[in-house]
Amino acid sequence: MDLFGSFALLLAFACAGYAILAGLAGIRTRNPLLLKSARNAGMAVCILVVLGTASLVYLFYTNNFALAYVAEHSSRDLPSFYKLPALWSGQQGSLLFWSFLLSIYTFFVLFTNRGKHPELMPWVGVILASVQIFFLTLNCFVASPFSLLGAVGPSGAPMILARADGNGLNPLLQYPEMAAHPPNLYLGYTGFTIPFAFALAALLGRYPGEKWIHLTRRWTMVAWGFQSVGILLGAHWAYAVLGWGGYWAWDPVENASLMPWLTGTAFLHSVMMQEKRGMMKVWNIWLVFITFLLCILGTFLTRSGVVSSVHAFAQSSIGQWFAGFLVLILAVCLLAYFKNRDYLKSDNQLDSMVSRESSFLFNNLILLAACFAVLWGTLFPVISEAFTGNKISVGPPFFNKVNIPIGLFLLFLTGVGPLLAWRKTSADSLIRNFGWPLVGGALAGAAAFAGGFRHFYALICLALCVFVTLTIGGEFFRGAKVIRARTGMNWLSAVSELSLRNTRRYGGYVIHFGIVLIFVGLAGSAFNKDVQQAIHPGEQFSIGPYTLLCQEFETRQGPNYTAERATIEVTRNGKSLLMLYPERRQFNTANNETGTMVSIYSTAREDLYVVYAGRDPDSGAPIVHAYLNPLVKWIWIGGFVLILGTGLSILPNQRVAIVLSAARQYAEGGPAPATSPAPVSPYGAQH
Amino acid sequence: MLALVALTPAQAQKTDRAKAIGHRMFCMCGCKQILVECNHVGCTMSTAMLKKLDAEVASGKSDDLILQAFVQDFGAEVIAEPPAKGFNWLAWIMPFAVVGGGLWVIRALLSRWHQPAPALPSGSAPPPDVLARIREETDREE
Repeated sequence: MDLFGSFALLLAFACAGYAILAGLAGIRTRNPLLLKSARNAGMAVCILVVLGTASLVYLFYTNNFALAYVAEHSSRDLPSFYKLPALWSGQQGSLLFWSFLLSIYTFFVLFTNRGKHPELMPWVGVILASVQIFFLTLNCFVASPFSLLGAVGPSGAPMILARADGNGLNPLLQYPEMAAHPPNLYLGYTGFTIPFAFALAALLGRYPGEKWIHLTRRWTMVAWGFQSVGILLGAHWAYAVLGWGGYWAWDPVENASLMPWLTGTAFLHSVMMQEKRGMMKVWNIWLVFITFLLCILGTFLTRSGVVSSVHAFAQSSIGQWFAGFLVLILAVCLLAYFKNRDYLKSDNQLDSMVSRESSFLFNNLILLAACFAVLWGTLFPVISEAFTGNKISVGPPFFNKVNIPIGLFLLFLTGVGPLLAWRKTSADSLIRNFGWPLVGGALAGAAAFAGGFRHFYALICLALCVFVTLTIGGEFFRGAKVIRARTGMNWLSAVSELSLRNTRRYGGYVIHFGIVLIFVGLAGSAFNKDVQQAIHPGEQFSIGPYTLLCQEFETRQGPNYTAERATIEVTRNGKSLLMLYPERRQFNTANNETGTMVSIYSTAREDLYVVYAGRDPDSGAPIVHAYLNPLVKWIWIGGFVLILGTGLSILPNQRVAIVLSAARQYAEGGPAPATSPAPVSPYGAQH
Repeated sequence: MLALVALTPAQAQKTDRAKAIGHRMFCMCGCKQILVECNHVGCTMSTAMLKKLDAEVASGKSDDLILQAFVQDFGAEVIAEPPAKGFNWLAWIMPFAVVGGGLWVIRALLSRWHQPAPALPSGSAPPPDVLARIREETDREE
C-alpha cells in the first residue's frame, strides 16, 4: 500500500505538471481541447492525491510500523479515533494533508466553473496547478510520508525493518479539539489559494471588470471562516488542555495563523470598494497576494526553525524550499503587476471625507498595522540578533502593549464603518445613526467607572462594545421596523426576512457582533486571579467566591496513560456546587510524555479553572493551581456567532418580487394591475 | 509515576508583585512559556527561577533591579519584551510608525480623491441620463 500511495502521488505530480504545460499552451494557442485536457488533469490531481492520502490512512489503521512516519506518530494502543489526526501530526503527513485539501478545493473550483469564464479559468487552473506542484514536489521527493524504516542486512543489502510498535501520538494532540483544529486551519490556509489564483489570473489575463471578485467572494469567505474556526479551536485547546490558564500566548505559530486572517479580513472589506465603486484595484490585488504569501510564510515559520516555538515541527531543511517558493511567488506577483498595472487603473473618486469609502481605508490601515505588529514582533528576535549579535525575546508583554490599542481602534471602526453611507454621509444621518449608540457607550463606560471599574483598556473596551452593539442593533431595528410596517410580521420574522434579503450585509453585522462578544471575553482577562496552593486531602482554600475542598488524590489507568487525579469539591456561600477532577497524565510513549486534564467550571460571568500542578518537591504535597478568569466564555460564544454570521453571508439573497410581475402581464395585454400591488412571492428572485 | 511526582512549579509568587514581575519573564528551560505560567512536568528551571523571584521581591529591590538580576543570570532573552534601548527601540517604534505613516498616506489619498459633486443651478432638474445613472448606481450600492 505504501508503493501504491507513493505512485499515486507521483502520478499526481505528473498530472499537475501536464495541467501547467497544457494550460499555458492552450492559453497561447486558444486551443479548446488543450484547455479542456488541462482542466481534466487538474481535477485528476485531486483523485490521485485522495488515493495517496487514503493509502497513508490505511497504513495508520493497519499499524504498519515498517513505515517511518507511522512508527513515529502512532502505536498499537493509540485509540482509533486518534489514528486519523496522527496523519497530520508530523511534517510529512501535514504536507500531504495540505496537498489533499488544496486538491479538493482545486477540483471544486475547476468543476463548478467548467465551461464558464473562458478568459479566466485557464489561468486559474495553471496557477492552482503550479501551487499544487510545489507541495507535490515536497510530498514525492523531499518529505515523503511513505519512507520505509530500513537497515543494512547481514549481506550488506538494505532491508525493511518493521518495528513491533510505534512511538505513539504526541499526548498534546490526543484531544478532540486537536483533531479538529489542524483541518480547519489548513482549510483556511489552502482556501486562500483560490482568491489568490483568481486575482493573479485576472491580472495575467487582463480580465475585464470586477467579475473575478464576485466569483471568489464565497470562496474567500469559506477560507476566512475556516481560518477563524481553526484559530478559535487552537485557542480553546490551549485553554482547556495546556493548563496555563490562558488561551493565546503570541507564540510564532499562533501568530502565523493570525496574520493571513487579518489581511484576509482587510481584503473582504476593501473588495467592496472595488465592487461598488471600482476603486482600490491595485490595493485589493496586493492584499490578496499578501494574504496568500502570509499563508506560505506561516507554514515556513512553523517548519523552518527560524523562530523557536512550542508548536513548531522539528527543524529541517524544508524551510529552504518554502523560502524559495515565497521568493518565486513574490517574483511572479511583481512581474505580473508591473507588466499589467495599467489594467488596474481605477477612477478613484471620493465625494466626501465622511463616507464608507474612507472608513474602509481606515479599517484596512488598522488591520494591516495589526498584521505588521504581529509579523514584526515575531521576526524581531531574528532581526535584532542579525544586527546586534545579541539574543532577545519578544513575547506577550510586547504584543499586548502594541496590539491592544490597535484592536480597540478596530473595534471602534467596527461600529462606525457600516453606518456611513457610500459617497457621502450627511450630518443628519450621522446624528441619527450614531447619536444613541455614542450616548449608550459613554453611559456604559461612566457606569462602570462609577462602579469601581478602573482598568483603562477594559473600560474603553466595555464602552466600545456597548457602542458597537447599539449600532448593529440599530441597523437590524430600522430594517425590521420597515418590514413589519409593510407585512405585519412579528419582530423575529421581520429580522429573519431582513437578513435573508441581504445576507452579505446582515451576515456581516452578525460577524461584527461576534467580534464584539470576543472583545468582551478578552477584556475579562484584565481581571484574572490565580492561587496556587499545596493542599492535602481535607484541606481547602478560596479564590473569589469559591472554596475548593480537596477530597482525595488517586492514581488511575487510562487506555494508554497513567494519571494522577485530584478530586475537589467546589462550594460557594457554603453550598456545594460541583466536583472537579483535574489530573496529570503520563503517556506510554517512547518519551513518557505528559499532559494535563484541566477542570473548568464555566459560567457567563467567569471560569473557575483548576489544574493539578503536581507535587511540591520539598514536602511531596499535591499542588492545585486555581484560576478565576472572568468572561472567558464570551470568547467561545462570540466565535460561534462569528461562524453563524459567516454562514449567513455566504447564502444567496432571497428577495421579494414586488409589482414587476403584474406590470409585465399588463404590458403583454393582461388585466391592469391592482392599485396596491402585493408581493407576488416572498422569494421570487434568487441572487 | 515518578515523573508525575517529580519537579513541579514551586509554591512561589506569594505576592501580586512577584506575579506581575514573573509575567514579564520567560521560563528558560526552552518551553517559551511565561515564567509564572510554565507548567510542564519535569521543568528544571522554573522552580529555581520562581524561588529566586520570591527572594528578590522579599529583599525590597525595585522591579528594574530584579529584572536586571535575572538578565545577569540568564541573558537578555529572559525578559519577554525587547528592551527599550539602542537598536531594540525599533521594536516599539515601528508598529506605531506604520500606523502614523498609514494615516499620512490615507490623508493624502483622501485629499487627492476628494472631488465634491458640482452644484446644480437652482431650478434645474438633473438630465434624464444622469438620473438613470444615479438610479442604477443606488440600486447597485444597496
